Amino acid sequence: MTGMAEIVPPNGQPMVQVEGVGLTRADGQGREAVILSEVTFSAAKGRITAIVGPSGGGKSSLIRLINRLDDPTTGCILLGGEDIAGMDPLLLRRRVAMVLQRPFMFPGTLLHNLQRPLAYRREAMPDAGSVEVRRTLELARLAPDLLERDARSLSIGQQQRASLARAVITSPPVLLLDEPTSALDRPTGDQLAAALQDICRHQGMAVILVTHDLRLAGKIADDLIYLEAGRIREAGPAAHVLAEPASAELIRFLAEPEKGGKHG
Amino acid sequence: MDNRGLVNLELSNLLLAFALILFAMALSRFQRLGQARKIGWAALRMVVQLLAIGYLLHLVFSVKTPLLVTSILVVMAGFSLQVAGSQAKRKMPGFYRVMGSSILAGCGGVTFFFCALVVGYSPWYEPRYLIPLFGMILGNSMQGASLAAERLEAEIGERREEIETALCLGATPRQAVETALRNAFSAALIPTLNTMAAMGIVSLPGMMTGQILSGTEPAVAVRYQIAIMCAVSGGVAATAFLLLMQGYRRYFTPAQQLRR
Repeated sequence: MTGMAEIVPPNGQPMVQVEGVGLTRADGQGREAVILSEVTFSAAKGRITAIVGPSGGGKSSLIRLINRLDDPTTGCILLGGEDIAGMDPLLLRRRVAMVLQRPFMFPGTLLHNLQRPLAYRREAMPDAGSVEVRRTLELARLAPDLLERDARSLSIGQQQRASLARAVITSPPVLLLDEPTSALDRPTGDQLAAALQDICRHQGMAVILVTHDLRLAGKIADDLIYLEAGRIREAGPAAHVLAEPASAELIRFLAEPEKGGKHG
Repeated sequence: MDNRGLVNLELSNLLLAFALILFAMALSRFQRLGQARKIGWAALRMVVQLLAIGYLLHLVFSVKTPLLVTSILVVMAGFSLQVAGSQAKRKMPGFYRVMGSSILAGCGGVTFFFCALVVGYSPWYEPRYLIPLFGMILGNSMQGASLAAERLEAEIGERREEIETALCLGATPRQAVETALRNAFSAALIPTLNTMAAMGIVSLPGMMTGQILSGTEPAVAVRYQIAIMCAVSGGVAATAFLLLMQGYRRYFTPAQQLRR
């Protein structure tokens, strides 16, 4: 393990709290485009929170705020009860890992890629036989004989799982994922989903997952947030929200055939 | 000077040399190659420009106050900064400030070390040495730093995914741009390394040739050339390094976010 101090939110508060967050951005023609407005939700330890909605609705912009790849225009985000705006961004990102939409593999073997987060922290790098590497590979459903392979020669599905493994090898308390299954076919996507569920349960992580894939959300999410045009239209336990959608927006979204129809 | 076998070129010798230009003009005229007028103009311009710079150098070399010599160096640096700025297609954020301070510290430092300790003439501001030496170091360093700046801009533009992936895994900005920095530094050094590799085989360097023609022993001229190439390499490396170390920070916000 990496000696990362565990974050214990005071008074049983959720791990991540997003409070009244708004985001506006210059649209290049001198006007301000509203990306997000008044977004409030929280994500708890050991639970998977899915942010679902049509593309262009602000989902990706939203999770980029949680590890401060960008900053919100209004509102604040708390990690373990502490405002992230006051934290050292480096320490924040070492606690809140993120897997971007397109898996980027650094040159070198899969093992090199897995060692990178530890190299960044100037910590001892685990070798191929170490408990950390074995355990992470197992959780991500990657075969150990892939370790010495050139990471860029892996299939896209393996690369997705490799970037998941790379993000969790340091056991961060929070994990953010942007469309982790967008490039995957259904069986490969299911493998990734199972891996994600294992990791979340085993390590007690708070997982926040952005997806437009309702099937995936229905399968693994504990909590679900429906985001459209920058606003939360509906939120609650995933099973409940998907079974009995209340907002007109979500009902319309669920009815669109290209979303895979009903959740799985 | 002519006691060491140096042949001074008199005006009559020069006129004879010009006969070669007339020959070239005549050749293109009678063979209907149509370049006669261009050759004439080019030759005339060259004469006027060189006479002007000859007088200017004569004037500059007679300057004996350190402040004045130093200000000439600053003007030279300013001109080269302006040239670099006008040639850069896409400039990094804060281009002039980053470039200017790197040139000042990098070239200035290396020139001082070279002039004061390696060549060791006195006084240190003797313009006959200081100005041409600084000029050579400056010209090469500016070229190197420009290449580094241009490459860094391109690399960071192309590697946004890689850089943000690294940030997401807990990298510092410096760690996240490591590959971009390495490629940019290498781009800065390549012309100098190529020149060094070809030196003496493919090309005889201009400075050495000039010294030999004006009567210096080849062995001495070679030593000078070696020393100068060391100074140029040092200047290029120092200036490009300073530029990159200041430059990459400009692509990040204080919260270590990659700027859009």
